[in-house]
Amino acid sequence: MTIIQDLAPPPEVEVRPRAVGRRERWQLRLPLLPALIYTIVVTQIPFLVTLWYSFQSYFWNTPAPAHFTGLSNYKTVFTNPAFRGSLVRSVVMTVTAVIVAMILGVFFAILLDRKFLGRSIVRTLIITPFLVMPVAAALVWAGPMLDPNFGLVNYLLQPFGVHHVAWLSSHALGSVILVMIWQWTPFMMLIVLAGLQSQPSDTLEAAKVDGAGAWATFGELTLPHLRPYIELGILLGSIYLVNVFDAVKAMTQGGPGTATTNLPYYLYEQVNNAFDIGGAAATGVVTVILTIIVATFALRMFARVFQFEEAGV
Amino acid sequence: MTAVLVRDREPAGLRLRRVSGQVGWGILAWVVGIAFFLPVLWMLLTAFKPESAAQTWPPKFIFTPTLAQFRLVFSGWGPYVTHSLIATTVSTLLVLALGVPAAYALSVHPVPHWRDGLFFFISTKMLPIVAAIGPLYVLALKTHLLDSIWVLIILYTAMNLPVAIWLIRSFMLEVPKEMLEAAELDGAGRIREMTEVIMPVISPGLVSTALICVIFAWNELFLALNLTVTNAATLPMFLISSVPQEGLYLAHLSAAATVASVPVIIIGWIAQRSLVRGLSMGAIK
Amino acid sequence: MAGVKFVSASRVYAKDAPPAVDALDLDIKDGEFMVLVGPSGSGKTTALRMLAGLEPLDGGRVEIGEKDVTFVPPKDRDIAMVFQNYALYPSKTVAENMGFALKMQGVHKDERARRVREAARLLDLDDQLLGRKPKALSGGQRQRVAMGRAIVREPRVFLMDEPLSNLDAKLRVQTRSQIAELQRRLGITTVYVTHDQVEAMTMGHRVAVLAGGHLQQVDTPRHLYDNPVNQFVAGFIGSPAMNLQTVPLTEGGARLAGTTLPLPASVRTAAGQAGLKEIVLGIRPEHMHLADGTGPLAGEVMLVEELGADALLHVRLAEDHNLVVARTEGRKPPAPGQQVTFAVQPDDIFAFHPETGARLAG
Repeated sequence: MTIIQDLAPPPEVEVRPRAVGRRERWQLRLPLLPALIYTIVVTQIPFLVTLWYSFQSYFWNTPAPAHFTGLSNYKTVFTNPAFRGSLVRSVVMTVTAVIVAMILGVFFAILLDRKFLGRSIVRTLIITPFLVMPVAAALVWAGPMLDPNFGLVNYLLQPFGVHHVAWLSSHALGSVILVMIWQWTPFMMLIVLAGLQSQPSDTLEAAKVDGAGAWATFGELTLPHLRPYIELGILLGSIYLVNVFDAVKAMTQGGPGTATTNLPYYLYEQVNNAFDIGGAAATGVVTVILTIIVATFALRMFARVFQFEEAGV
Repeated sequence: MTAVLVRDREPAGLRLRRVSGQVGWGILAWVVGIAFFLPVLWMLLTAFKPESAAQTWPPKFIFTPTLAQFRLVFSGWGPYVTHSLIATTVSTLLVLALGVPAAYALSVHPVPHWRDGLFFFISTKMLPIVAAIGPLYVLALKTHLLDSIWVLIILYTAMNLPVAIWLIRSFMLEVPKEMLEAAELDGAGRIREMTEVIMPVISPGLVSTALICVIFAWNELFLALNLTVTNAATLPMFLISSVPQEGLYLAHLSAAATVASVPVIIIGWIAQRSLVRGLSMGAIK
Repeated sequence: MAGVKFVSASRVYAKDAPPAVDALDLDIKDGEFMVLVGPSGSGKTTALRMLAGLEPLDGGRVEIGEKDVTFVPPKDRDIAMVFQNYALYPSKTVAENMGFALKMQGVHKDERARRVREAARLLDLDDQLLGRKPKALSGGQRQRVAMGRAIVREPRVFLMDEPLSNLDAKLRVQTRSQIAELQRRLGITTVYVTHDQVEAMTMGHRVAVLAGGHLQQVDTPRHLYDNPVNQFVAGFIGSPAMNLQTVPLTEGGARLAGTTLPLPASVRTAAGQAGLKEIVLGIRPEHMHLADGTGPLAGEVMLVEELGADALLHVRLAEDHNLVVARTEGRKPPAPGQQVTFAVQPDDIFAFHPETGARLAG
């Protein structure tokens, strides 16, 4: 029936103003504290210690204890061509690998965006390089793939006039970059593919009706839509790639000479070969400062890119 | 009903272009896929070769397979895989234990300045741990943690915590607000809200997060190499050491590489979508 | 400007599944506003998409302006489409959205801008909106941009896929009349899909009712209302819906609420020829006239819906306890619980075959 009985008037409720009291505030903060304290202790203390040691002269292959040397370590860092060289190489390796991996990633994503027979298998094949343990991948490339005498690559390139090239000697940097690209292209592809698949299909249909061909649709609609995804891929990829160590260690050990020594490997050598804790510390501090500068831009970009997650694009 | 099939009326030129376009696309994709996968295939193949068959010119595709390399790997990998398993599992559990409450405090009932908190965590990921490796070594030495599984556990936890927090937070943000409000109306306090509303909803997300942490910890080489020698050496170090200075052991290292990579490959194949989400720290769903 | 023809057009999705559109034959005249209406799954959207070239045909053909366009890609059909969710290009401004098709045709920048401004004026879109992106617009504004994008092209045919369904009720009514007015002004052949029969009745020159992939009836709104060809159309068109009851046949008529309602001889003959013992009786609510206790149909008022100008009475009839709806004057309707009687004109009674739903005709 539509006849609504008159309900008794609602009981009187006391309305207390919701002030966020001290206790409440701590209740909010408490869950965060363990992770926060843990991270601060484990990450900041080593950096403070690094800072301290950067002003010390300390070689741990000698019995002499650490003693204060002021800024001499820093002077060494800035005058040492090896440090500058490793910095340049890091930038070259990272930028090249990120750009090529992203271009390939976009190409692969476009390939996988259309239905064809066995599409999920091909997708699985393409992402597998990313899943191989990095040091394992590097070793496999260094050995069975690029070996001058027994490697598969030399065999496959024979028809193109390539004869028993010692890739890790003559094209060391390129080989390392190649492995970086090989491992990280799937990462870029997955991100771009997510972007392609999130494009609303009716927009693409509207473009069809409006007379846009495949190229026009890609340039005018798809690329702008992919922009935040590409930015995210480049950003995250750079963060991961600038720290690559495994490939250098496993393939070339920084060589020949210093041809493939990037920053992480340079620091590793300082500690393990030069036994120079003070020097390594100073290098570390300089690295951190440089990273902070770059990271400030990166963080701002991060914030913008992550906003699209909140806007629900 | 339907009279003449439309397909039969399709102009020949159009049909040819359409079908060849579809087939061509598929062929291109397969060629690209196989070419890209080739090194992995080669790794798998070489792992089953006797060393003599691995060092030939031209490289052999047909040979008598053997499990000798794998037997070698399994006979030598014992302590290494144990250390890897311990370091990975314990650090992942720690990450979840610390990360879930932290993500909660940064999403469902955010603390003031929660944005700063989030960015603090991500900034630790941006600062290269490699920069502090020297002093870290000395620290580990002084605290008697050098070459102990605990130094790895501690550092892996710190390494994965930021990713986990961002990721778990993204899952918590997906819990429908109405669910939380209904629980609040039913009188659920913070703990009950967490255990009875949030955890059940995000449990697949926690699995994804755990998988990402496992992948990163399992594959980690730099810290293990610098801070452990024998008592806590992990699988990546086993691989490095299987490349002796003298002699070439292509088949053996292929077997070792295969064995070391299989767990992560399987995880990645099964949880592909979680992989994307985890790697982008929750940005891409 | 051109006419549109569906000739035995079919679309089948899965091999053994019933067709989404089954041999549709529909002839739309040049300049006509044709509405395709039906419940979800009726095939109306699929038919529209076949016309657009977004769905392939599995049988028959589609013609625009006397030419077979079955294999012609959408962009060469000279059509424009308004999508249900508007499908605006998110990375482009309103002006760029509206001018996109012209850009694809190679129209010069200035000419594009002129036509965009003209269309914007026609649709009451402010100049300042032209520089905004879709996410900065309200639902109603987006809808108008979607329409503007179609208008700018000056196509031969407009296709509209439920363009009003995402608007709130008031805006919907407003925009409805604007669209009808616009079509009258521009005179472009329009095929309009909706599930809302009120929209269909108020906007279309002719309305095609679809159900289950089949065309039920195509006619002017008036004829659809007065002369439904089967039970589905009768029950679908008109709000509130026609009262439909399965009732037994007797000598001279059909038995409802303990009375025999007379049926025309032709209907009785048709029923007899089909060997029917019962029929589905249809009476529209406004044809149930309140009689002061003297009418043949008696019942008890269960619920009164007061609409202001009218009132709808939900009545439980005597004897067979069938529930019917009657429309009456809004001033002083009977109260719930009251006993009332109704009279019905014989001409206002419809009879349908209880199995096929076909109208037993007079």
